[in-house]
Amino acid sequence: MRIRKYYFAVFTSAVLIATGSVTAHAQAPTDPQIAGIVQTANQIDINQAKLALKRTSNPQVKEFANQMISDHTNLEKSVNDLAKKLGVTPEDSPTSKQLKQQAAEETKKLTSLHGEAFDKEYASHEVAFHQAVIEAAKTTLIPNAKNAELKSALEGAAPLLQGHLEHAQQLEQTLGSK
Amino acid sequence: MIACHDLAFHSGHRYRCKVRRIMLRAAAVALLSAMCWAQDARPGGTNHVIVIKRLQFNPPQTTVKPGDTVEWKNDDIFSHTVTAENGSFDSGLIDPGHSWQMRFTDTRAVAYHCRPHPNMKGTLIVQGVENAAQGNGAMLKWSPPRTPQEFHPILVNFTAALLPLAFLSDVLGRIFRRHSFHHAAWWMALYAAVITPLTAAAGWWWKLNGGSDLPAKLITVHQWLGTASVGLFVILAIWRWRIQKRDGAPSISYLTFAAIVVLALVYQGSLGGRMAFGN
Repeated sequence: MRIRKYYFAVFTSAVLIATGSVTAHAQAPTDPQIAGIVQTANQIDINQAKLALKRTSNPQVKEFANQMISDHTNLEKSVNDLAKKLGVTPEDSPTSKQLKQQAAEETKKLTSLHGEAFDKEYASHEVAFHQAVIEAAKTTLIPNAKNAELKSALEGAAPLLQGHLEHAQQLEQTLGSK
Repeated sequence: MIACHDLAFHSGHRYRCKVRRIMLRAAAVALLSAMCWAQDARPGGTNHVIVIKRLQFNPPQTTVKPGDTVEWKNDDIFSHTVTAENGSFDSGLIDPGHSWQMRFTDTRAVAYHCRPHPNMKGTLIVQGVENAAQGNGAMLKWSPPRTPQEFHPILVNFTAALLPLAFLSDVLGRIFRRHSFHHAAWWMALYAAVITPLTAAAGWWWKLNGGSDLPAKLITVHQWLGTASVGLFVILAIWRWRIQKRDGAPSISYLTFAAIVVLALVYQGSLGGRMAFGN
């Protein structure tokens, strides 16, 4: 539980500070930056799920990782299609850079772990990651999206992220009880 | 048959012929009944379509009756499952653009969710139960059985009653040294052997016709134990017939075998009950 809180704090701080919601002077993210943040978050989760598939032998973790790859690939495709339709080119931003940096550190940590330790770390990370992304979408990305379709798409993705969070929490609980 | 008439003066042989004739008639009646039921069996029921879109089951609550077909159509961009909270069915992943359907056989409301997205929830409400709760007596109205879901529980009553009673009657016959108990036991063993294949056939019909929503492990054990029981009942009836032919009391080995079959039947019944009423 303590580990999960720690990750949640780290990820939430990273997303919120970088998106400028807690720094009065920073600018709110633009629509291309929002599209870039969503794209980055999707890519991070897909890459970490691919890593999990390589390293785990737990069928539940595999099932979860396969689901993350499938769902986030479909989400990424729909975001890209929407960006193309709206003429928005996803841009890098302090948030997306910070997310990438955090993900690189997490990947390094996950790579050093094996067996049950890996599974538990991956599940905890997924819980914290989805909590942070839901929080960021609610407090920063959705309120700052200018385009109505982009805003609606972000709102539409919220139940998906919530579903992933609940699934990750179930997985974490199952692994924790072993 | 000619041989039987020629040897009619021989009372033992006449008795055997009579029994053979009765068994043949019973088998013919059973076969004809099975054929009539098969002809009468109509798929029936209403089709309900539940659309999965934007991570929601639409409508989230659907009112169905046992025997209705429910189809889940995935119009979302993500794969989903339809998983019963009580474990009675699980669709597996339904990919975007695909559907999954099942014949609803439960008699109680079933809540379900999507396994990969546990926040997606839905409920199947049973119309008959709802109506009964409203006090209109819809469930008390008699209608002839047409589906295996109706035939199997009806037939199972006969199987479940006849064999234990046959065993009990033989035990009482031995205790009180009364032949009438043994005669009753023989007839009950015969009826059980005739009716049990029909019970098993109705069970298989249920399994093959919309039984995918039944709990997988339970149904596998139940279906094979039921099928094996048919063979055991026939063996038991033949054994009992040979004892009856000698007009004697059943041996301890027969009674032991009968007791084992009765115990298997009790376990089989408990599995059936678990599937019908839950734990």
